[in-house]
Amino acid sequence: MEAWEVGSTLGPPPSEAQTAARAARRVRIRRRLGLAAAMLAPWAVLVAFWEIGAARGWIPTALFPPPSAFIRFAIESDFRVGFGREAMPIPVAILASAFRVVAGLAIGFVAAVATGILVSMSKVAAAALLPIVRGLAPIAPIAWIPLAIVLFGIGEPTAIFVVFTGVYFLLTLSTVAAVQSVDPRLVKTARTYGASPKQVWLWVVFPAVLPQVFTMLRINFFAAWMAVLAAEMVGLKNGLGMIIILGREVFNSNLILLGICIVGITGYLVDSGLVWIQRKILWWQAER
Amino acid sequence: MSSLVCKNVGKLWQAPQGLAVEALRDVSLAVSSGEFVAILGPSGCGKSTLLELIAGLEPISRGEILIDGERVTGPNPKVVMVFQEHSLFPWLTVEDNVAFGMKMKGMPVAERRARAHEVLRRVRLEPFARHYPHQLSGGMKQRVAIARALVGNPDFILMDEPFAALDFQTRVLMQQFLLEVWRDFASTILFVTHHIDEAVLLSDRVVVMSAGPGRVLEEVAIDLPRPRSYTSAGFNEYRVRLTAHMEREVMRAQPAELAA
Repeated sequence: MEAWEVGSTLGPPPSEAQTAARAARRVRIRRRLGLAAAMLAPWAVLVAFWEIGAARGWIPTALFPPPSAFIRFAIESDFRVGFGREAMPIPVAILASAFRVVAGLAIGFVAAVATGILVSMSKVAAAALLPIVRGLAPIAPIAWIPLAIVLFGIGEPTAIFVVFTGVYFLLTLSTVAAVQSVDPRLVKTARTYGASPKQVWLWVVFPAVLPQVFTMLRINFFAAWMAVLAAEMVGLKNGLGMIIILGREVFNSNLILLGICIVGITGYLVDSGLVWIQRKILWWQAER
Repeated sequence: MSSLVCKNVGKLWQAPQGLAVEALRDVSLAVSSGEFVAILGPSGCGKSTLLELIAGLEPISRGEILIDGERVTGPNPKVVMVFQEHSLFPWLTVEDNVAFGMKMKGMPVAERRARAHEVLRRVRLEPFARHYPHQLSGGMKQRVAIARALVGNPDFILMDEPFAALDFQTRVLMQQFLLEVWRDFASTILFVTHHIDEAVLLSDRVVVMSAGPGRVLEEVAIDLPRPRSYTSAGFNEYRVRLTAHMEREVMRAQPAELAA
């Protein structure tokens, strides 16, 4: 063993390039660790103050139980919330809410791009549809909840519809705006290469508007996410919104704060997924 | 032999307030096979408009344009256009950009890829076939745009200030590249520019246009042996002559602009 180590130190010295590469890697790793520390430090400080404040009695733990309390509560209740028939494992609640928001966003995005391109193609379609879209766009998604419950009952379609209304009208208008800002040189180029008007819409305008509309989708995701939680709180009685409202109903602050934390983390993860799509699938932006 | 003839071409742009702006008046021009013609004029003289009319992208208000004796009424496969910059589709790879026109005509994917690669090999861009435009420099992008123009074997290549956005070194390299392409592919090129040197360096003939409305002032045959350079004997005489013309035009156009 010792002999091996001695032998290795007596081996050929590393070349300059190897040394440089190693130094560069060390710098890279250090930079990444620095960024990770910068990301985690505020959270660590927040949790530390919260825990210390709760232990010293500065913070009323009945209203604001610290993470150690509500995480222990979650473990002790076997990651299940609710009673009897309404009881639901927390992972199921997370998946239920995430599925609703993703389904609503996907349907809203596809429908909005289709509508936006249709009204940009046809003056008749624009005259028929745009005033409706502009009239419905200002209505907050939460305002649709009572109507959606009447129309679709208590269940998935209501939640998906609420998310859909939260993104569809705005995204339709931003598709129309994106179509108008497509670089005319791209359209002219396609036409000189023999593209018919329909081909221009399909192969130039459609791909050109996708990234811009997707950026709007991401901006509107948070509103849609809030709308789903509101729908879950007032009507659906399941999903993440239910965890919070149940906590209020049974005066269990652990449940409320647990719910808030999961809502934040899940929303962050879905948004990260949208960022990933933006970077890896719809990465091009019109060059100007 | 293919031919391009503009006969007394005029173009009016309908402004939103109902006023018409006269962009071109009475432009007559003939280009024959294998020629390299530069259209030189101050900005706003309608030279880009003329190219768009020839490409069939805009309706002609007066006169007519004939390609091989046929009136231009819309885009024509015999004519392609290369724009200043940013005319590559950013979501397509280099090979798919080059194959775009063939895709529009419904050519099978294997065949159009093969043809695209053949042209890319000839212009030494094949290693970049799978790259996206944003991964290329400005000069490389314009080379791809030129390869895309060549792939369909057009009779006429119209170029609208294709190198205007490039720095001087890149521009010089691109001018050499374009001359090689012109020779190797035996194309006919109609090249719009506001650079006098560029026009003299590249073309067989310079068509000088005036501003507002655009008219043809004169045609100057550039009778210099190739290869040329900015320091060739005789280059300066052409430059001085064309510069004098351009100056007069700019000065003439200026008061109108200031008054407006």
